[in-house]
Amino acid sequence: MLNVHEVLKTFNQGTVNQKIALNKVSLELLPNDFVTVIGSNGAGKSTLLNAIAGNFMVDSGEISIEGIPITRLPAHKRADLISRVFQDPLSGTAASMTIEENLIMAFRRGKGRRLRRAIGTKERDLFRIELEKLGLGLENRLTNKVSLLSGGQRQALTLLMATLQKPKLLLLDEHTAALDPKTAEKVLELTCGVTEQQQLTTLMITHNLDHALTFGNRTIMMHEGRVILDIKGIERNNMTISRLLEMFEKASGSHMNTDRMILA
Amino acid sequence: MFTQIALGTMEQGLMYAIMVLGVYLTFRILDYADLSVDGSFTLGAATATSLIVGGTDPWIATGMAFIAGTLAGLFTGILHTKFKITPLLSGILTMTALYSINLRVMGRANISLLGSRTVFSDFAKLPFMEEYGVLVLSLGSVLLIGAVIYLFLQTELGLALRATGDNELMIRSLGVNTDLMKILGLGLSNGLVAFAGSYVAQKLEFADASMGIGMIIAGLASVIIGEVLVGTSSIGRAILAVICGAVLYRAIIAVVLQLGLEATDLKLITSFIVIIALVSPTLRKKIASWSAGVSGKEAQ
Repeated sequence: MLNVHEVLKTFNQGTVNQKIALNKVSLELLPNDFVTVIGSNGAGKSTLLNAIAGNFMVDSGEISIEGIPITRLPAHKRADLISRVFQDPLSGTAASMTIEENLIMAFRRGKGRRLRRAIGTKERDLFRIELEKLGLGLENRLTNKVSLLSGGQRQALTLLMATLQKPKLLLLDEHTAALDPKTAEKVLELTCGVTEQQQLTTLMITHNLDHALTFGNRTIMMHEGRVILDIKGIERNNMTISRLLEMFEKASGSHMNTDRMILA
Repeated sequence: MFTQIALGTMEQGLMYAIMVLGVYLTFRILDYADLSVDGSFTLGAATATSLIVGGTDPWIATGMAFIAGTLAGLFTGILHTKFKITPLLSGILTMTALYSINLRVMGRANISLLGSRTVFSDFAKLPFMEEYGVLVLSLGSVLLIGAVIYLFLQTELGLALRATGDNELMIRSLGVNTDLMKILGLGLSNGLVAFAGSYVAQKLEFADASMGIGMIIAGLASVIIGEVLVGTSSIGRAILAVICGAVLYRAIIAVVLQLGLEATDLKLITSFIVIIALVSPTLRKKIASWSAGVSGKEAQ
């Protein structure tokens, strides 16, 4: 499904701030895999997602989705394959535009934008049905500007936008980290619902070790630009948070920011 | 006398409103302060007048002015998106280059159209249009262009353009080439500005190499005045605000002139209008936090 092969990315090459963000990282996802990604700050989790999404070009290595090589494609040309939800609830929606306008833009993800009226009755009906599933009452607020919504509502909307047109790969970059616990649970619940229902292949970064083990079918841990732990099946079922921390310390030879990992 | 001035102000305001609609497209929709406007306004005037003097039909000349302006905007857009030059500098480069180009187009510093056919002289020949022809043609043009922009901004392409100004990262992740959107927006905007320039020159029957100086600030002032007075709750309302703002701006200028200020002081006044508008939100916040601080101390 997704194949990341020996991807190398160095930031600030040739300066004192040179940093190898992705150190020949390789990762393969099977169809319907829901992989949670953990790791300390600067481990390369977000960089990996950005590399897959095409926010920058990698120095070397290959990335492909369902055999389609995407390594050299700019971000906007990968959009028909990949959709994303960012950590910041503000960054997934256009605030000055209405809910239905945001939705129709997402509905046409990866397709051409033509010179014809964007929203018709058919689309509106579809949006109402989809918004109703969120259970936030947004179905009656189609023409409200998104700037009027709360962070949680905006993140739920972003999630709906990301899955309105089924993507080959869904990238979630700590998409609940900026929300209060109750809202975060709600958004996670929605995430699980939609990934199961649409059988999406998903890559989710989280700082919450509990979530990392409960959600999805596979967990990887990153450190210094490499995947240092990759567990699934029985091994994963038997894993506990404390053992996960232990393994991290053993594998990386350093201590993880445990307070944040446990309290998150 | 008064009605004469009022009519003249109205006519001018409506012509400038076409320019301000262009400024609105870049400044508000794309969130891009495009300084090429100063050059492309004159470019429109220069193109139309020199073509008319050369014997071209004024309607075709006006269309050519739009195309010339569009090309200037495309150039700014390419400088910014393909060569990563900052928005301000891209605009300044185009504006400066256009100054020489405009002089080349005109062949001299100014052109008179006295006695030539213009779109307005043509229009005045229609029945009942002798007295109010300029007003009717300007109003009709503004309403038509405003309506087209309104409809365009509801299309798939228009939404992508708006989202480019609102949240570039997001719309790119939805598969839109934002570079292309910026180039398109800048082209369209400068086309409208040049179109307005050609109208103004044909009304004045005169084009001058320096007639575009300060146009961007006048445009911003008009956008801001309109937004404050009419509001921006929807796209339709924002477009209406822009048109009203342009007319009101001209009215303010006319009043200021009647009060005895020199025409040469206008740019100073216009700059002040924009400065006040830009400063007031920060100032209001500062005053609010200051008074909150005072009451907080009192509470202690």
